[in-house]
Amino acid sequence: MGSSYDAVIVGAGHNGLICAAYLAKAGRKVLVLERRHVVGGAAVSEEVFPGFTFSVLSYVVSLFRPSIIRELDLPRHGLEIIPLETAFTPQRDGPGLCRWPDASESRREISRFSQKDAEIYPEFSATMTQVSRFAKNIIDSQAPDPSSLRPQELMALLRLGRSFRAGEHGSLDLQAKLFTMSAVDFLDRWFESDVLKAPMSVSGIIGTYLGVRSPGTAYVLLHHYMGEIDGAFRSWGLSKGGTGGISLACARAAEAHGATIRTEASVESILIKGGKAHGVVLENGDEIQARTVISCCDPRRTFLGLVGEESLEGDFVQRINRYKFRGSSGKVNLAVDRLPQFRERSGSAHLRGDVAIAPSIDYLERAYDEAKYGEFSRRPYINVVVPSLMDPSVAPPGKHVISCFVQYAPYHLKEGPEKWPEKREAFGDTVVDTLAEYCPGFKESILHRQVITPWDMEHEFGLSEGNIFQGELSLEQLLFQRPAAGWSRYRTPIQHLWMCGSGTHPGGGIMGASGQLAARSILESRQL
Amino acid sequence: MSSQWDVAVIGAGHNGLTAATYLAKRGRSVVLLERRDRVGGVAASEEFSPGYRTAGVVHETATLRPWAVEELGLSQQGLVKRAEASPILIPTETGPGYVHWRDSDRAADEISQHSSVDAERYREFRSFVARLSPVLRKVFDEPLADLEALDMSDLWDLGRKAVALRLLGKGDMMELFRIVPMCVGDWLREWFEAEIVSTALAAPALAHGMVGPWSPGTNLNLLLHEALFYEEISGGPAALVSALEKAAVAAGVEIRTEAEVTAIDFEGDGVSGVVLSDGERIGARQVAASCDPKALFLELIPAHYLAAEFEREIALFRTRGIAAKIDLALSGYPVFSCRPDVQLSRVRTGTNLNHVERSFDAVKYRQMSDEPTLDLFVPTVDNPDLAPSGHHVVSILVQWVPYELEGGWNEGQKNELLERTLATLDRYASGIRDLTVGHRVLSPVDLESAYGVSGGHLLHGEHAADQLLTRPVGGCTGYTTPFQGLYLCGSGSHPGGGMTCAPGAFAARKILRDRN
Repeated sequence: MGSSYDAVIVGAGHNGLICAAYLAKAGRKVLVLERRHVVGGAAVSEEVFPGFTFSVLSYVVSLFRPSIIRELDLPRHGLEIIPLETAFTPQRDGPGLCRWPDASESRREISRFSQKDAEIYPEFSATMTQVSRFAKNIIDSQAPDPSSLRPQELMALLRLGRSFRAGEHGSLDLQAKLFTMSAVDFLDRWFESDVLKAPMSVSGIIGTYLGVRSPGTAYVLLHHYMGEIDGAFRSWGLSKGGTGGISLACARAAEAHGATIRTEASVESILIKGGKAHGVVLENGDEIQARTVISCCDPRRTFLGLVGEESLEGDFVQRINRYKFRGSSGKVNLAVDRLPQFRERSGSAHLRGDVAIAPSIDYLERAYDEAKYGEFSRRPYINVVVPSLMDPSVAPPGKHVISCFVQYAPYHLKEGPEKWPEKREAFGDTVVDTLAEYCPGFKESILHRQVITPWDMEHEFGLSEGNIFQGELSLEQLLFQRPAAGWSRYRTPIQHLWMCGSGTHPGGGIMGASGQLAARSILESRQL
Repeated sequence: MSSQWDVAVIGAGHNGLTAATYLAKRGRSVVLLERRDRVGGVAASEEFSPGYRTAGVVHETATLRPWAVEELGLSQQGLVKRAEASPILIPTETGPGYVHWRDSDRAADEISQHSSVDAERYREFRSFVARLSPVLRKVFDEPLADLEALDMSDLWDLGRKAVALRLLGKGDMMELFRIVPMCVGDWLREWFEAEIVSTALAAPALAHGMVGPWSPGTNLNLLLHEALFYEEISGGPAALVSALEKAAVAAGVEIRTEAEVTAIDFEGDGVSGVVLSDGERIGARQVAASCDPKALFLELIPAHYLAAEFEREIALFRTRGIAAKIDLALSGYPVFSCRPDVQLSRVRTGTNLNHVERSFDAVKYRQMSDEPTLDLFVPTVDNPDLAPSGHHVVSILVQWVPYELEGGWNEGQKNELLERTLATLDRYASGIRDLTVGHRVLSPVDLESAYGVSGGHLLHGEHAADQLLTRPVGGCTGYTTPFQGLYLCGSGSHPGGGMTCAPGAFAARKILRDRN
């Protein structure tokens, strides 16, 4: 079967679609192949129960690159981001802490727990914003290559080194601390109240198999301060119509530039001849020829699945084998007939953002301790968002959808990951029970429930070991080491085979940077 | 009355002795002031039970820098190095246990009992670490440039280090970048299938740390331990102290014990000496403090002399003690059921990584471990004089035991700790209780008050990446302080704690250079 393309992209995740859009915009003939019936990969909206549309997996946007929105003209293709306004941390007994868009109001709330913390909070934000300029440089450019002696690479390293030192508030010492300390140790340098530190610290552990006291978790705190610099929208937001709205906008942009997207087209393997990729074979046996193949799948699926060990050198296979996934989170999506009622908070203003079940540092750490030994947390960290409050289109009138991101749900259960299907409902019960401790009457409000375990993420959504970022975002798997040293620039050991997913620099989350940077690299390579 | 010295050194631990000796050998008049009744600090020998003496609180002596031994002439003062690293017994409740040898030839048989492929992997591991060692030594066995205020000589120095890094070759260099931020558990599991081998190798990386085998960054400590592991001292830390003391005396250092410094004396912008607890003032043009940075800046200097930001950074320097010390006087060598005939001087508990991790978990919640991880040193195996004939001294570093124990430390808590320690030992060497004829328990709080180490932290501050590269904090990373003539020369400075003598030596060089 003989249709031929300039580029065929395996997987219509948001990065694959963005890469497709950029290549099509540059005049290339592009085909995107998606195994499932919908595009979006992990950034997908589905009407799971009649009238209720869930952002099935990924549910908030934080660092989506403004340059992508601009260059692909995404608003014209339907993209609409609704900012999250609040960050609420309930306590089991008591009013909890809500941080508001208005800084003085937040300070007032914080001062109920600590006057000192309230006073230093603005200074902390200012300092972090300063330092985050450095981190922003990293996600908007190719990973540096410290092994190269080429002058331009050395210059790039030098520039990175200079930006590392340049921050006004961000002394070198502070940056060294951010990149090596635990989120808790770092926050301890500033704050004293648990109710403030706990919800702040969790940003350091999302999607990782680490606890808030694990060294190396502090730098992710910066992510919260990067979105604001761009000024395009606040640091966290929701996509109208669910997270799938982002993917749809990207898909429409790609199609507008002439790309073709096929769903329910599962790729079986990548065609390789003489060390060069020249197309793909679908599960139904169809062969599609292409000058370039781009995989949006994670490194394990790409190399050990689609390519196959036999086409790769042993050393490279070993590196891919030890690339770590270890998914640690699950997702529970609920359809409810009323808004959750937290103790001592009336109205819904405090729900127009995210609600963190993270009452204390010790609570979070104990949740991690259970996961370390292969059990899901009996009292997990839950990040709750009620998208229907800001975007009524996703639920029938008067009813709501609730998205619960849950950690820890370790892929590697001590009985083995294959036991997850048996534990799925028990895990769902744990989440509901936990929430009910903060919201009396919560259980009674539930109409439908969808529970997604790391096992489901792997089998339904193709994320190896259920890792939401296509591989752990630990220091040794970032920058020039993502996914393997020497292969951080979207190229692979197979000529004409490229990668564009979250398993490449700069990593996961709905940033789109991998897809954008991959497209740029491919075009610059003049292979296409 | 004030006497006038070139340099007054505060604290006669191994680093204070080292700094003082270096300075005196270069012709400086030096007085060394020690609060306790003997020199040596945590390395000193003490009688803890009538007729039973320790060989120091800490155990590891292989970190002692060979160049320091040479330059201080310690061999002439009776220092004897062991021919090979002490084997370490890792007892198991059932099965053969494991004796960990550093040398891969010696290790092969033992490892083979647990895994046939690991013996060969261990050989590769050793040669890999040996290849990395020159770079790690370049950074941690030399003074570190002050990265916040680079001058030409610093740039030259950084350039040399970069060259050493490149000389590794691309493969090893990239691998070094990959493994440094990892946790020991992940990295060692890449190498070995026998968990007991990984656990034995991981232990030094976790010593005195608020970290377990699954904590990222611990691999840096493992690499440092392996790269900077030289030769052990026969007789343990106390033997090092004894040689250092003789060298100091020979060099002309005036050592004064029971001389507690309570304040630094200032004149203008700089120091003019120190004040002792009895009010005596000792004049000195330069003062070198081998006490920990918190003790120096927060206790010996009036708060209003410090810039607020600097004071805050010092206060935030993490010194959370997590180890207790238990000394046992035994009427015989304990019989480990897995190796009834073996009598080694080093024993460590912890048979798999999760076992150790569980032991660590407790300290995060200000609890002591139910089943602590024990590092045993039996100095009487090599040095029978420390106990009555046929009897033994067992020195145990017990982890994890928080300084900030919930509810605070008291006699009841210390008894509980002793009980848990004996119960843990009893699993492997039943009958240990019957052998015990005396004991001493030092909680982290006791260690703080006995040895003057803030937080009871025996390394003067945690060895975490951010506290190693800019040790202790910005503004005093190169042994200097915000005060002219006042220097740091202890474990709170680069390259950190342990029986290295490096901070003392590097500080002395800095002091000599400044004076010239």
